[in-house]
Amino acid sequence: MKRRNLLKNALLWLLGALVSWPLFAFIHKKRYRPPREIRISRKIRPGEFVVEPEFVLFQTESGPMAVSRTCTHLGCRINYLEEKKMFLCPCHQSRFAHTGRYISGPAKKDLARFEVTPMEDGQGFTVYLPA
Amino acid sequence: MKAPSYGQISAACLLLSLFTGFVVAYQYEVAAPFVSTTAIEAVLPFGWFWRSLHFWTSQGFVIMLCLHCFDTWKGLESENRRRTVRIHWTVISAVIPLAILALFSGYVLRYDGTGQAAGAIAEHLLLDVPWIGNGLNRFFMAVSTEGLNRLYAVHILAGCLCWLLGTWYHTRTVRMGYEAFVASSLAFLVFCMFVRAPIDLPQGHLHLIQGPWFFLGIQELLRHFDPLAAGIVFPLIPIFTVAVLPWLRKRQAAYLLLLVWTFAYAGITLVGILRTG
Repeated sequence: MKRRNLLKNALLWLLGALVSWPLFAFIHKKRYRPPREIRISRKIRPGEFVVEPEFVLFQTESGPMAVSRTCTHLGCRINYLEEKKMFLCPCHQSRFAHTGRYISGPAKKDLARFEVTPMEDGQGFTVYLPA
Repeated sequence: MKAPSYGQISAACLLLSLFTGFVVAYQYEVAAPFVSTTAIEAVLPFGWFWRSLHFWTSQGFVIMLCLHCFDTWKGLESENRRRTVRIHWTVISAVIPLAILALFSGYVLRYDGTGQAAGAIAEHLLLDVPWIGNGLNRFFMAVSTEGLNRLYAVHILAGCLCWLLGTWYHTRTVRMGYEAFVASSLAFLVFCMFVRAPIDLPQGHLHLIQGPWFFLGIQELLRHFDPLAAGIVFPLIPIFTVAVLPWLRKRQAAYLLLLVWTFAYAGITLVGILRTG
């Protein structure tokens, strides 16, 4: 390759890199999304549960427990099967106990749990979803 | 009249798909994807027809494109010595992954049960790619953090790039043919009057969600293998092989690989279709 061509190619690559950087920086930037609070305004007795899009809230003898509905395998929204007291992922059939503990399937990890606090008036619960 | 070739049908499908895509976009809302899709399907006048035409012509484009690609291997054998032919083949082979990306993102954009699961899986698969996974996800998906905004942009971009690459390559080399276009379009118009595009409820599948037909094999593999191997490396094998085909001195091994991959994938897809839970 002649020196002139080499320089020309190098210049073009440099120009490409210079243009790509602002594009990459613009697209890659993540907008800040604050943590969310989901309010469940109803009483739940021990043994009962409430299904929300992002979690299932159980009332147990030891207190409320919010278990994530996001599968730890590839992020599908999993379903709670009341009669079997377990979660089932409809995408790849991973199974989890109602506590979120992994049972079988390709997921291998337990489901996440979210922080729950009872409302001050005792009429419900607040679930905190991380950012 | 001569029967239209695969290339002509795929071109007709792409033009119809792009046109109907812009029609559907007038009523589609990224912030409320499932509600707007069901409104197009069930409430708006002729919405079902435009959606069906967009869906089926897009399917037709991908299928006809693959057949067209298979059909043109013969020409590659006689012309492969020229460097420009090799470069053209490699560049134009990018249309296949772009077409599949446009088709896949279309499934996610309707955001029903299948679409939501497909979006989540694709995002996690991209994040599994070492080093560049996060960047790829930010560019192509990021459904969990950005909603469907980026995917919608990518869907339109991929469709337009298919058209641009196809036009760039075929200008002054082939003619579409008025009759071939009209015949292909009429066939799809009649078909779409009777067959609607599928849609399901977001919570409609308790035990099993079956992904798009071309993704069923990957979905099955993901049950048994590592996500990176099953969801990224395995599907890239035929795409990479087709792209490098003209640069290989002896192509028998590459043809055999493509053949074995196709049959293996068809077999795995069949297992996915037959799965009940």
